[in-house]
Amino acid sequence: MRFALSKIAHGLLLILGVTLISFTLMVWFGPDQTYSLVGKNATPEQIAEIRHELGYDQPFARRYGGYLAQLFTLNLGASNSSGEPVSQILKRTVPVTLALMIPGFVLGNLLGIALGLLSAQHKGRWIDRLVTGLSVTGMSISFLVIIIFLQVLLSTPYGLNLFPVRGWQVDDPGSYLRYVAVPTLSLVFVTLGYNTRFYRAVFVEESGRDHIRTARAFGASTATILWKHVLKNSMVPVLTRIMFSIPLVVISGSLLIESYFGIPGVGKVTFDAITSGDQPVLKAVVGLTAVAFVLIQILTDFIYKLVDPRIA
Amino acid sequence: MDPANRTWQRLRKDKAGFMGLVIVLAFFLIALGVWSGILGQGWSEAGGGRWEAPGKAHWFGTNLLGQDIFQRAVYSVRTAFEIGFVVSVLSTLLGAILGALAGWYSNTWADSTILWIKGVLDSIPFYLFVAAVAFALQGKPWAMHLAMIATFWTTTGRLVRAEVMKIKSREFILSARTIGLPDLLILFRHVLPNTLHILFIQSSIAFVAAIKTEVILSFLGLGVQDGVSWGLMLAESTQEVLAGHFNNFLAASLMLFVLLMGFNLLSDALQEAFDPQQAAL
Amino acid sequence: MKHPVLSVRKLSVTRRQPDRASTVVDSVSFDLNQSEVLAVVGESGCGKTKTAEAVMGLLPCDTWDVQAESIELDGTNLAALSAAAMRKVRGRKISMIFQEPLTALDPVFTAGNQLCSVLCRHQGMTTKAARTSSMAMLERVGFAEPDHIMRSYPHQLSGGMRQRIMIAMAMACQPRVLIADEPTTALDVTTQAQVLRQLTRLGEEYGTSILLITHDLGVVAQYCDRAVVMRDGRTVEEAPVPKLFSEPQHEYTRQLLNATMGVRSA
Repeated sequence: MRFALSKIAHGLLLILGVTLISFTLMVWFGPDQTYSLVGKNATPEQIAEIRHELGYDQPFARRYGGYLAQLFTLNLGASNSSGEPVSQILKRTVPVTLALMIPGFVLGNLLGIALGLLSAQHKGRWIDRLVTGLSVTGMSISFLVIIIFLQVLLSTPYGLNLFPVRGWQVDDPGSYLRYVAVPTLSLVFVTLGYNTRFYRAVFVEESGRDHIRTARAFGASTATILWKHVLKNSMVPVLTRIMFSIPLVVISGSLLIESYFGIPGVGKVTFDAITSGDQPVLKAVVGLTAVAFVLIQILTDFIYKLVDPRIA
Repeated sequence: MDPANRTWQRLRKDKAGFMGLVIVLAFFLIALGVWSGILGQGWSEAGGGRWEAPGKAHWFGTNLLGQDIFQRAVYSVRTAFEIGFVVSVLSTLLGAILGALAGWYSNTWADSTILWIKGVLDSIPFYLFVAAVAFALQGKPWAMHLAMIATFWTTTGRLVRAEVMKIKSREFILSARTIGLPDLLILFRHVLPNTLHILFIQSSIAFVAAIKTEVILSFLGLGVQDGVSWGLMLAESTQEVLAGHFNNFLAASLMLFVLLMGFNLLSDALQEAFDPQQAAL
Repeated sequence: MKHPVLSVRKLSVTRRQPDRASTVVDSVSFDLNQSEVLAVVGESGCGKTKTAEAVMGLLPCDTWDVQAESIELDGTNLAALSAAAMRKVRGRKISMIFQEPLTALDPVFTAGNQLCSVLCRHQGMTTKAARTSSMAMLERVGFAEPDHIMRSYPHQLSGGMRQRIMIAMAMACQPRVLIADEPTTALDVTTQAQVLRQLTRLGEEYGTSILLITHDLGVVAQYCDRAVVMRDGRTVEEAPVPKLFSEPQHEYTRQLLNATMGVRSA
């Protein structure tokens, strides 16, 4: 019980920190929107009125408090550009982003684990060197390059022209597969190199432990050793990495993929908000991703207990 | 053989790593060439026709505006090194200092505060953070660098903190403290230099990350504002390739790939050289 | 004279290194007879463990070069076996237990799981049969509550208990040879005696010959029939225990005896 409470307290501090930074950067230092709302020939009284409405005349702490209150009551306001309530925007876009990013994320990690095990099994031999070489190559190619390349290769007449160039018209499983294919492939390509390297290192380290020698001394085959003993013992670092890569891969990745392929998810909405300076949307997204990330961290700690009996 | 010499010997024998070093140095020379006004000066001239094919006048052809792609790609080497250097040096420095302080004063409020800041920064998705910083700076060009420095230091910080905590309890440190040397002096004069290998490796990793990040930021419009970079070239090319013009894309992505490969091979080799047992290979 | 159970002839182990190779075990030969406890004695670093690991085939061939004229276990030359064939032998005809009980067992599986997997693998038992056999085996090594042990994870058990579980695993298939590499060095004195007694008793019961690696001459005197003395990768002397203590032939053996026994005989 105490464990859970300290975790929650820790999480709250994190959320506090994130919202403080986002508030300071975006609202406090952000553009003064008085004049865009008021027009050119405004009287001092009108200006003062607008400023009061926007809350510019209040001290930092007050405004920050107001921001926090907004977040926690999910009173997220409406988009500056479209006027659509932010909560509605999120309801509409979050499922799309999840449907888009999850296959690539999961596949990228599963393949990374499998390749990492394969490399560790044949450490030093040609398979290992090939996989490692390909990983380093993968790490040296920019995400943008991969996306452009795959799009040209798979979706244009200059290539195979199998998949749609952009958009998201998903009505049934068939069209889902067609629209999610190229983004998923890009995501896997980009993350596979990094994932494989990391997992390989974890598995190699775990393979050097005493109890692996014991397993071998009792006749366990290399496959059993890797897939049963090494893998299960590596679950803590593996899970940690998966959890901590979620903000980077899923959220930042969706930003790029959606804006590039024109897919109406959270990433695209955020991208539009960035370029147009749509504050309410940005505030909401930053705040909520922080909260989501904290929740993921707490969840991870509980999963550790399931996976590793040593964690009390 | 002393450790530094041994490391150098190991590095020399690592063929891939050596090649990486050569590549990086070659690009560095190109960057110097651009800085000193010898190379790539014609990057903004709209001298040729639209989308000219590669030829004598323009080695890689021209882009939409008739600018020489080759010149632009060469100039971008300078941009890449500028961003790479600034970000990797400053973020590594920041990480070293904060990590050392956190490790030295571990389990005190100072440590907890630094760890908290680290946690917060790690929780914010990077591109959102850059956007927020850009917002706050009202479009001044430093947004990109600041955002990168502010987030890249955390990895270095974490590694330095762990290492300092280990070194802290070693004998020569204990004797220094018994003599009565002030804490901060011991920390920065004696402990931190023992983390140099971490700093070297991390700065090369940060260099790569900085260049890759710039590419995406420029695509999003948050990156390089004046001048040209591979990111901007790639951003330009996104529309061009749909119409069948690949030169811009190829030039930028090839040069980017070679430099990144070089750096990755180098940092792998550095990791192997400094501690073969701990390295991934 | 009956045939020895294990016969090692000219075993050498060299470490492969880029600049220089180093010989860790140099042309070692010895015999292990039926139902005997043979001690391999020497200081740390003399190559005792590497010899044992080489016999078991546990040294990865990319780092180690193992050469031998023969390593015969009941007539089969282990050195000539394929990897797959060797796996069938390990844990079944010849077992090994290690020095560090705290790290020797897999932390994420229960003791029962690890014991059963040996039985399933080598005796082809079903899970149910393996469980029954495992519990019986745990009783044999002196556990009063085998059911509780079966369900426990290694970190919940003491070093002595973990070592006894290892003995149970090693003896579960009634091997011809058990190699025990300093099995009690990491344990406290009272547990040492208990574990060694279990070990030798089971050996007698199952007809298993034991190769006991140790640097403790007291253990040699109390539990072993014969002893081989090693130094710097070579065998130096081989004799029945009483004779070794009363009439040591080699200078090194005399030094060893003086160093440890001198205190007691004085």
